[in-house]
Amino acid sequence: MKTQKYLSYLVLGTLVLGLVSCEPKALTEEDVFVSEDKVAELTADGQVYDLNDFLDRFMTEEGTYHNDTTPYRERSYDATHGIYLYSVDTLPAGGPGIYIRGRITTDDYAGNFYKSIIIQQIVGGQQQNLRISVDLGSSAGMYQMGQEILIRCNGLAVGRYANQPQLCVPSYNNNIYAMNASQKVGWCPGRIPGPAFRKVAYMIGVPDVSKLQYDELTLAELYTQIELKPAATNMDAVRKMDGRLIRLKNVHFTGQYDDNGSLKNCDTTNPDTIGGGGANVFAPSTQNIGYPQSRVLGGQGTTSTIMCSNSEYAKFAYYYLPGADKTGVDNCNTYTGTVTGILGWYLDKASDLASNKLTGYEWSVTPRGIPGIGVEDISMTNDHDDPWIPKEYDPKDR
Amino acid sequence: MRNKLFSLMFVLAISLTAFAQTSLKGRVIDEATQTPVVGAKVTLANQNISTTTNAAGEFSLLYLDAIDEEVLIEADGYVAALELVNLQAEQANRMDDIALQQDIVTQAQDEILLNLTEEEMTDDEGRSQSQASSSSASTDVFNSNTSFAWSTARYRNRGYQSNVENYYIEGLNFSSQERGQFNYSAMGGLNDASRYKEVLNPMEATNFTFGGIGQSTNYLMGASRYAQGWKVGAAGTNRNYKARVNATYASGVLPSGWAFTAQLAYRFSPYIDNKGIIGEGIKYYSLGYFFTAEKIWDNKRLKLLTFGAPTERGQNAAVTQEVYDLTGSNNYNPYWGYQNGQVRNSRIVKSFDPTVIAAFEYNIDEQQKMKVAAGYHYSWYSNSALNFYNAPDPRPDYYRNLPSFMWDGQIANPNNETSAQQLFDAAGNHYPWGLFIGEDMKGNSLGSGFEDPMTPGSWIGPSVDQEQYMNLVNLWRNRDNKTTQIDWDNIYASNYANNQTNPNGAARYILERRHNDIQELNASFNYVNTKYDHLKMTLGVEGKYSQGIHYKTIDDLLGGNQWIDIDAFADRDIKELASNSGFTQADIENVRKNEIRDGYNNVTLANGRHFGYDYRINMGNMKAWFQNEWNFNEVDLYYALAFEYNSMQRTTTMYNGRAWYLTTIAQNQDALNGTDNYWKYLGKKALDDLTNGRNNAPGNTLVGMEHSFLDPAFKLGLTYKINGRNRLKLNALAETRAPYARDAYISQRVHDRVVENIYTHDNAKNLTDFYAASEKVAAADLTYEFNYPVIRGRITGFFTQSWNGTELNGYYDDEARTFVNQAMTGIDKRYMGVEAAAAVKLGTYFTLTGVASVGDYRYTSDAIAVTSAENGMPMTQDQSTKALVFETKDKVLLKGLKLSTGPQVNASLKLSFFHPKMWFADITVSYHDWNYLSVAPSRRMQGLYTGTRMDGTAVNGWFGDENANAIQTTDGQLLRVNVDADGNATYENAVMDANGVPVLKYPYNIMTMQENIAATNPLNRFLIDASVGKLLYLPNRQSLSINLSVTNLTNNTHFKTGGYQQARLPRAVRQGELDYQNSIITANAWKYPSKYYYAWGANFFLTVTYKF
Repeated sequence: MKTQKYLSYLVLGTLVLGLVSCEPKALTEEDVFVSEDKVAELTADGQVYDLNDFLDRFMTEEGTYHNDTTPYRERSYDATHGIYLYSVDTLPAGGPGIYIRGRITTDDYAGNFYKSIIIQQIVGGQQQNLRISVDLGSSAGMYQMGQEILIRCNGLAVGRYANQPQLCVPSYNNNIYAMNASQKVGWCPGRIPGPAFRKVAYMIGVPDVSKLQYDELTLAELYTQIELKPAATNMDAVRKMDGRLIRLKNVHFTGQYDDNGSLKNCDTTNPDTIGGGGANVFAPSTQNIGYPQSRVLGGQGTTSTIMCSNSEYAKFAYYYLPGADKTGVDNCNTYTGTVTGILGWYLDKASDLASNKLTGYEWSVTPRGIPGIGVEDISMTNDHDDPWIPKEYDPKDR
Repeated sequence: MRNKLFSLMFVLAISLTAFAQTSLKGRVIDEATQTPVVGAKVTLANQNISTTTNAAGEFSLLYLDAIDEEVLIEADGYVAALELVNLQAEQANRMDDIALQQDIVTQAQDEILLNLTEEEMTDDEGRSQSQASSSSASTDVFNSNTSFAWSTARYRNRGYQSNVENYYIEGLNFSSQERGQFNYSAMGGLNDASRYKEVLNPMEATNFTFGGIGQSTNYLMGASRYAQGWKVGAAGTNRNYKARVNATYASGVLPSGWAFTAQLAYRFSPYIDNKGIIGEGIKYYSLGYFFTAEKIWDNKRLKLLTFGAPTERGQNAAVTQEVYDLTGSNNYNPYWGYQNGQVRNSRIVKSFDPTVIAAFEYNIDEQQKMKVAAGYHYSWYSNSALNFYNAPDPRPDYYRNLPSFMWDGQIANPNNETSAQQLFDAAGNHYPWGLFIGEDMKGNSLGSGFEDPMTPGSWIGPSVDQEQYMNLVNLWRNRDNKTTQIDWDNIYASNYANNQTNPNGAARYILERRHNDIQELNASFNYVNTKYDHLKMTLGVEGKYSQGIHYKTIDDLLGGNQWIDIDAFADRDIKELASNSGFTQADIENVRKNEIRDGYNNVTLANGRHFGYDYRINMGNMKAWFQNEWNFNEVDLYYALAFEYNSMQRTTTMYNGRAWYLTTIAQNQDALNGTDNYWKYLGKKALDDLTNGRNNAPGNTLVGMEHSFLDPAFKLGLTYKINGRNRLKLNALAETRAPYARDAYISQRVHDRVVENIYTHDNAKNLTDFYAASEKVAAADLTYEFNYPVIRGRITGFFTQSWNGTELNGYYDDEARTFVNQAMTGIDKRYMGVEAAAAVKLGTYFTLTGVASVGDYRYTSDAIAVTSAENGMPMTQDQSTKALVFETKDKVLLKGLKLSTGPQVNASLKLSFFHPKMWFADITVSYHDWNYLSVAPSRRMQGLYTGTRMDGTAVNGWFGDENANAIQTTDGQLLRVNVDADGNATYENAVMDANGVPVLKYPYNIMTMQENIAATNPLNRFLIDASVGKLLYLPNRQSLSINLSVTNLTNNTHFKTGGYQQARLPRAVRQGELDYQNSIITANAWKYPSKYYYAWGANFFLTVTYKF
């Protein structure tokens, strides 16, 4: 009987123990977002830099990364002006914490941003912006537009890729199959590995897109603020214009595209045709090579133009430009409106700078999509009753 | 009065008969409980006659020779006993009660084995580690000594997949009609309930089914079999579950003729927060129940039984060697993460298989008996998984999250042989994985890279600098929670953020539940006739109707507002899907929908509503067979013939947008090419209904095409009894086998289309076409069996050839940039080898048993693969016409490759100790070798190495050299792979190895060489298991047993049990060039490296059982 009793206790005890199932409770917003108090706590070991201060403090002209024994991109250096278009400065892994914070302005759902996040900080009523290069596919699903984030930058790097400042890691480009590969192979800014970024990025509160600041301006006004042909002396200011969130008013698509510095008219070529860069849609196919397709935006009352940069992978890539249709681009100039996007500065040939060959098309605006957050409110000039209705390229139209 | 007279006459007749002949009677009882042992096998060794004990534990053998005889008594769960008797001529000899001692070691091992087989590991490619062959037959030295000892190594009998084995319960077929496998979780933990079974070796004469090339097992669950009394027990282990309690009660046969048995078994493990342990990140709850009632009256028995085991358990996955190395543990599990500081696994299996069976046995007379059985079984089986929409991949071991990815694209000039040697050893093997964690073979730090000496200016090393690289490495090495486990915090944060920015949109992440239920209704009839001298005739009819039920529900929205039921791949690719098909995105808006009929609300909540897909596979099966066995003094002979009818039909209540899109594309293609394929994606009836306005509402069932098959099978066997102790057995079998539903449908979640040869079969006008879809099998084995008091065993040689097999694979294709399905047909396989076993008694206490199996299991032909994208993306483009190609056909170079069905060389030596005072102990040393990795057909497509597929289309990205030439062979000739008249590949200009596989330079060898996953150090190919137990007899027929079993005693952590090549193959476009076709596959052939399963390290199982 004793044995039975003890064994019964054992069985009963084990059974009770086994029924204790510990399921984790659901996480609440408070559990997963960082509050301002928490930000203060997290950053207590260092300093939170304004974005421009951050660049001034840590991004040098030459970059501290490369040295005589490691190669770097050959064409990144303009000896005439002492300007480096590509640079990487590593940030100390240890020591006081180096923090930046900002609100995300980008969204990659439409496919026009790829593994790139831009954050915005408002300082004295003015935008400061910084690109963050992250190897995280569909990053906007996790780091969403309007989300404010805090980043501990220790151990990462800051640098310039084609003169665009960005938070990054040093990366060795070894694409020996690239065109002009000999000029491109070498160290340059690269994407922060996804796990490394998730480790140092904190989400502050829930996203709030209403807190994003847009600089609303006309093309003419824009060109009073940016330099078409910057010189070495003002290069620092030019670089800091990159990443601005703008609403470009009263602009229209001219029906042209940039072909290596010269403008050509788009035509009705099938966007799937190899090398079909001329088709009158936002971004005809490059057959997976992947460079952005530049469409020209003109401003009302000015002869100035700026590139509208689009990816062939964007969901709206095969939409006709406003005013264009299967017959061509004749009506493009008649549709005017607002293009919202990220102002971009991209200069990857030091020789162009040295020989003063800049065309002005180093500047661009990259919409985040159509419509809603990109190309929108476009209508027949001065007639809002005749709005532009996005229309897809249709092979049956041919 | 008349009845009494008849009874008296009957008794007299029997008595007279008994007196007129030599017979033997006896009773077998449990030594501890003194209760009858039912179903014990009693064999007279010298006369080769056997029988089994009845409900009272009694046996009776008639018509015997009057000689000195050895009586061997064997029963599941007991130590075999041998008794000597002197049979007196023409007398009814009677033995004293034979008391069998419980074999607590084997009982414990059976329990461990039962658990092992249900704990499959699955991963994101839907693969699972193959189950070990698990049925043991106590009467066969080979099987009884391999089923447990070799289960750790995932040994499979004769190299067969589990779907050729036949599993029955009380004569009813319980192997899945969809996949052919038996679901062990149906009786999880019910070790007592499943103790009694008949196990028959491949191709031997059977009495409950026709059998086949695999083992046939019939679980016997009648209540009268179980020893009377209570049995309660507890167990502790460090395996996936940590503890178990169970209780069994058996009434024995009551005076009323009824017997009842019931068992409850509860196994569990809460989440344990301890990285690196066996069962890391796994919780486990399972409550098994079993109840059986049996009524015995006259010459009839009625058995009623039910069992089930509601189970909830976490899963783990195979990962790449890099991950094992970085985490420093073979137990790493990527499926879990911390939520609110507690462990949470994303992959939780929920299963419950309530089963009811009724069986009626009727002994018509002394020479005729029959059995009818019917059963119903509903299997709820589902597993959870994270799904995501426009958000980063949540898997911690996603290839881009690993340090190795930092090397991607960094290897210069892949086809420069000399340069390549920098990274490969002389045998063409990639350097060990140490390369990815900081240093090269010379111990140099690779973090900052080095210049390729053969290509000045080219840099070899990770793409990021040393500091960043090591930062990532250390995150892994230190098991950083956010890096190496699921980041539940970020997942919830993404959803909460999305609620703000996109409140009506799809949650970024959900935990969905994928249901694969099945319900089965089966019946069987079995009739045995021994009316004629020396002849036993058996007739069987089996019928089964199964319905596979497949759908998804949402388990947890993870903080999100709702899920929008659209297909993420189609949504992402909609621009290409439109332009490729000559439509606009607006035209094909339906393609992203999982239900396109008006009225479907695609807003999905965690309320149990089905979403994503909701279809059923209806399967019918009817089998009729008969068998004639002749038994003579020197020769036994049998033959059996069977006909099996199978049918399958898919129905769906969701009209999938990709099915609609593919139908539309096919209509266009049909118009262009004069083909007739468009109806295949939905079926003629479904299309007709829709065209005529029927079934136009969501939820209406669309009925697909029905496919039916009729397959014959024939087997025969001959036993030559050299004498009472030595015999030769020869068995042979020929059959055709219909494809399983799992291999028949190209993409059953989306559409109705089946592999092409089934359409050939459906429209057959001749016999060749009629069997175009069936696998043909021919097999034979030859056995020498010996049985002496001191030594017994057998040696068997076997040979099996199969032709025209079908397999289906699905994977993400980097060329098509989407998920593709690949149907392979024409697969030939060969299994041949030798298995041997001998058990030698060493004195009173010890037995030494040696078993070995050496096999050669391989593909004997190449296969034809048809590959198509699940969402309708084109597979490639015709170079000359630029026409898009939606389905490619190519040869898969499989010939000569080994099958990945466990180790092909196995041997073990077991020393058993048994002391009459009921001490048990044994130690087994096993050696396993020739264990081959499962190959990915996608890596062995002919076109990869020639640039052109079998169908003439060009491969976009292939292993040509820099100038787009075909791969050169070692003697400098260009390799060409052609197809001969029989459809086999021929390798023009290639230098062949012994297996007929071309010997080629890198990268062919790297891509196609099949890895033997046996440990590099031969010492690590050994596994040692041991167990010790004690049985204590207590007063009043009570007993207490304790057993400790330790598996992998030496904690061998180098023992891989399986694995597979990832099907995904890296491609890289040559940047800076405009030619779409002239791209190359990136040199980084190991970008998606193989994944492996490892044996658990040292693990124990301690059981305490009390009987009263």
